[in-house]
Amino acid sequence: MITGARLKRRVVAVGAGAIVLLLIVGTSAAPLPFHDPAMARLRLSWSARPERIEVCRTVSAEELEQREEHMRQRVECDGRFATYTLRVEADDRVVSESIVRGAGLRHDRPLYLLRDFDLPPGGHRIRVTFTRREKTDDDAAAFAKVTPAVRDSGIFVGRAEREAEEHARRARAAIPASLALDTSVTFTRRRVKIITFDRDRRALEVLDDTRASR
Amino acid sequence: MKFIIRGARRILRSVDAAATRAFGWAWNPLHQTGTVAVAMLLVLIVTGLYLLLYYRVGAPWESVARLAAQPWAGRWIRSLHRYASDLFVIAAVLHAFRMFAQSRSWGPRTLAWISGLVLFGVGLVCAWTGFVMVWDAFGERLAREGGRLLDVLPVFSEPLSRIFAGDAPVPSAFFFVNMFLHIALPLAMGAGLWLHVSRLARPVLLPPKRLTQAIIGGLTAASLLLPAPVGAPADAFRLAESTLTNLVTAWWLPVSERLTPGMAWGVVLLGAAVAVLVPRFGRRPRAGALAPSVVDPALCTGCNQCPQDCPWEAIAMVPRDDDRPALVALVNPARCVSCGICAGSCAPMGVGPAGRSGRDQLSLLRSTFLPELARSGNPSIVAVCCAQAPEADTAALRARGARVHPVSCAGNLHTSGIELLLRSGASGVIVYGCPPRDCVGREGPKWLRERVFNDREAELQPRVDRRRVRLATMAPGARSEAVDALDAFTQDLVILEPHLPDPDADLEVECVPVPSEEEDA
Repeated sequence: MITGARLKRRVVAVGAGAIVLLLIVGTSAAPLPFHDPAMARLRLSWSARPERIEVCRTVSAEELEQREEHMRQRVECDGRFATYTLRVEADDRVVSESIVRGAGLRHDRPLYLLRDFDLPPGGHRIRVTFTRREKTDDDAAAFAKVTPAVRDSGIFVGRAEREAEEHARRARAAIPASLALDTSVTFTRRRVKIITFDRDRRALEVLDDTRASR
Repeated sequence: MKFIIRGARRILRSVDAAATRAFGWAWNPLHQTGTVAVAMLLVLIVTGLYLLLYYRVGAPWESVARLAAQPWAGRWIRSLHRYASDLFVIAAVLHAFRMFAQSRSWGPRTLAWISGLVLFGVGLVCAWTGFVMVWDAFGERLAREGGRLLDVLPVFSEPLSRIFAGDAPVPSAFFFVNMFLHIALPLAMGAGLWLHVSRLARPVLLPPKRLTQAIIGGLTAASLLLPAPVGAPADAFRLAESTLTNLVTAWWLPVSERLTPGMAWGVVLLGAAVAVLVPRFGRRPRAGALAPSVVDPALCTGCNQCPQDCPWEAIAMVPRDDDRPALVALVNPARCVSCGICAGSCAPMGVGPAGRSGRDQLSLLRSTFLPELARSGNPSIVAVCCAQAPEADTAALRARGARVHPVSCAGNLHTSGIELLLRSGASGVIVYGCPPRDCVGREGPKWLRERVFNDREAELQPRVDRRRVRLATMAPGARSEAVDALDAFTQDLVILEPHLPDPDADLEVECVPVPSEEEDA
C-alpha cells in the first residue's frame, strides 16, 4: 500500500523527471541565429592547378647518348608554381585583395579558393580579377616542340611525342595567367551567388541555385 | 585547486540533496551518472542499428525525412536516438564533475579520469558526425564549422570546406566516410570503456533495473509525444537565418563560430590540457587519511578475503618469505585508493590503511569513544556514521539521544567494533552508510551488510545479538529517513530484554597471529 508520503515523493519524482525531459527536448532543437537575414552573399569558390613557371632546355644528342635509354628525357625544366592576385570589387569598391598560392608547404599542390562576402540585397556590379603575379615571357616553353634527337627503339618508340603532349597537358590543366569577370549581379536576401572557374570554358562564371547541380 | 574542489563539493552536495529529496536516494540518478551514460550508449547502439537500415548516403536528408515520417517506428526511434545522445552527454559531464568534486580523479584513478575525458571527446565527435548525417541546415552548419576548423590542420590535401561551397555537389564519399566514423567511433568507445573501468573489481556498468526502465521509458515517452524535428534540407545557396541546434551536444558551436580556427583550437587544447592536468594538480600526499593500505604479515592468515573484497584489485596473494605455509596478502600502493574496505574484510585485523585497520579502530574506540559512552551512564544507541555524512544529519541523530561515532567509511568498519560497542554498554548499534551507489569506496555498504548479516568472512560473531544491530543509509537530502530509521530501531530495542555490558572482552585475543610451523611443533 502506498502511503501519503510515498505517493507525494512519487509525484515529485515524476514531476522532476518530466522537467528534466522537457529541458532535454527543449535544448535538443533550439533555434540558434546563424546568418544575418538582411544580407546576401557572394561566394568565390574554385580550385585549379597553378601554372608552372619553368625554364626549359632541350637536352643535346650527345648528352642523351650518354644516358640509359629509359633516362632520355628530351626536355628538362626547372621552375616553380605561379602565385596570383585576387581582387574583388563590388560597385567599384574593393572588398578584397589578396595573394593566392598553391596549397601545401611548397605550394606545389592545386590552389583552393573559398571566400565569402556579405552584401546587401539588390543589384551590384561585381568585378573579379585573378592575375598571375610573376611576369614571364617564357609561357610558350611548356608548349615547345620536342624533337627526337636520337632514334627511339623498343618500348621507347614515340616517347618524344608523349613528352610533348604531357607538357602541353600540364599547361592546359593550369589556370590561365589572367582571369577577369565584370558583371552585374542581382542579389536576393539570404541567397548565395557563387563565382567559380569553369574548366571547360577556362573562364569565371556566376552560379546560383538555378544554375547548379547539387 | 583545493579551493575549487571544496566549492565543487559544496555544489555537488546541494544538488545531490535536491535530487535525493525529489527521487529518493535509491533512485537518485545523480548517483548513477556513469552507468546512465553507459546505458544511453547501449540505447544509441540499438536504435542506431535500426536507423542505419534506412539511411542512404546518396540522399541523406531525404532518407532521414522519410524515416521521421514513419508514424509507428522511425519517428520515435530517431527521436529516442537523439534524446539518448543528449542524456549521454549530460550524464558524462555530471559524472566527471562528481569525480572531480569527490577528489576521485587522481592517483590510481588517473587512468579512469584520462580515459573518461577521451571517451567524452569521442562522444562529442560522434554526435557531430550524427548531426551531419541528417544533412539539414544544422548538419550543414556543423559540417562547415568542422571544415573550417580542420582546414587549418595539415590533414586533408584539399580543404574540406570547399566540399560544401556549392559549386559542385557534396560527394557521396563524404557522407559515406561520415557514416563510417559515426559507426566506428562507438566501437572505439566500447574499447575505451573497457579501459575506463579496467582498474575496478566488479565494475557496475548499468543503473538499477527499475531506474534504467524509468529513464528509457521517460525518453521513449518524450520521443512519442515530442519527436525531434528534422530541419530544412541543407542548401549551399541559401543562408539559414537560424538552425534548430542541439545545444546539449553542440554547446561549443556558438563560441567556436566567433573565434578564428587558430583560437578555437587554442581553446580546445587549453581546455583539454587543464582537464588532463586535473589529476596532477588535484593529487594530495599519500599520507594520513590517504595512505595506502599495508599488510601485517604476522597477522595475515592467507585467507584470500581482502583481495576478494578490494574494489580496486589492489591486493594480491603472494608466497610468504617466512616459513609459514600459507600465502600472504600484498597491497599494490599504485592501485590502492585508501578506501579502507580491506580493514573491514580482515578477520585477524591485519590489513588496512595506517591508523584505520581493525585494531586501530578498536584502539580508537577504547581511547576516546568508550570512556565517553561510560560517562553517559544510561545505555544508549550508538550511531556509527560515515565521515562523508552531512553534519546537520548527525546533529539530528544526537538530538534524538544517539551517541554518534564517525568512521572514515562504514565499509571500513570491522565487525569487532560493533561487538565492542555492544559489550561496552551500547543498547544498540546503528551503522549509517552512504547510498550503495554513492559510496566513495564503491562497495562499502554491500560488504558491511554481508559481514553483519550474511556471515561473509570477518563476520559479526554469532554471539552478538543481531537484533541490536541495524544498518541504514544516510544521504544528503534524506535526513528524515535517517531519523526515522533511528526511531524505528529505538522502538525495536524497547521490547528486547535488558542489555548487559561485558566490557572486559578482549577481542584482539580472538585474532591471534598465525603461528609458525616451529611454534606449532
